[in-house]
Amino acid sequence: MHVATVIGTVWSTKKDPTLEGLRFLVVRPFTTDGKESAETLIAADPIGAGIGERVLVVHGRAARHAIGKGHDIGFQTAIAGIIDTMDLADGRRIGGHVDSDERAPESSD
Amino acid sequence: MFLGKVVGQVWATKEVPDLRGKRLLVVEALDDMDDPGAPKVTPVIAVDPVGADVGEHVMVAFGKAARVACGGDGDLAYEAAIVGIIDDVHAPGAPSSWRPGAYTGDRGAGEA
Repeated sequence: MHVATVIGTVWSTKKDPTLEGLRFLVVRPFTTDGKESAETLIAADPIGAGIGERVLVVHGRAARHAIGKGHDIGFQTAIAGIIDTMDLADGRRIGGHVDSDERAPESSD
Repeated sequence: MFLGKVVGQVWATKEVPDLRGKRLLVVEALDDMDDPGAPKVTPVIAVDPVGADVGEHVMVAFGKAARVACGGDGDLAYEAAIVGIIDDVHAPGAPSSWRPGAYTGDRGAGEA
């Protein structure tokens, strides 16, 4: 399971029949020092995340289980949760949306 | 399976049913801690059935091993779990940061 930021949406008409009806998002993993990874992933989204939101991404069988269409589908990455906050040991707090980052230093708690 | 250090906790309200009520910890692999200035790699978010605290060193398992450690039958919507808290590591040549200790977390404070 990884943390990532939703940066886009993917549409595909001609695709594997097992993927009909799924929503696909482009997500970019990030690190605890707030840097974005160079790689991007395509994740199926069964819960309705939006662009800019921070999400939990699962892989493999866990992803197919999260998608909820059985285990015989042609996909192995899915969004399993939308992050509210991420509290780090050094006291920093990463928000649930990229827009919350600017506000974060101002809050004293 | 890898050795890591718990560096934080994640909270999510909107999530798949399998993750509801699960404690989700942010774990960074210990190899990255040799040089504190080295670029961070993306952390692993692991379900925590054993009650690890921020700052502790832990063993993280993946895949079915992780799901079974959380009491499931293998069909759960996550694939990483903390399966043990490290008391000590003896590995000649390993960086001193591998040794557990100097917990930054206030034990018990995050249990509420």
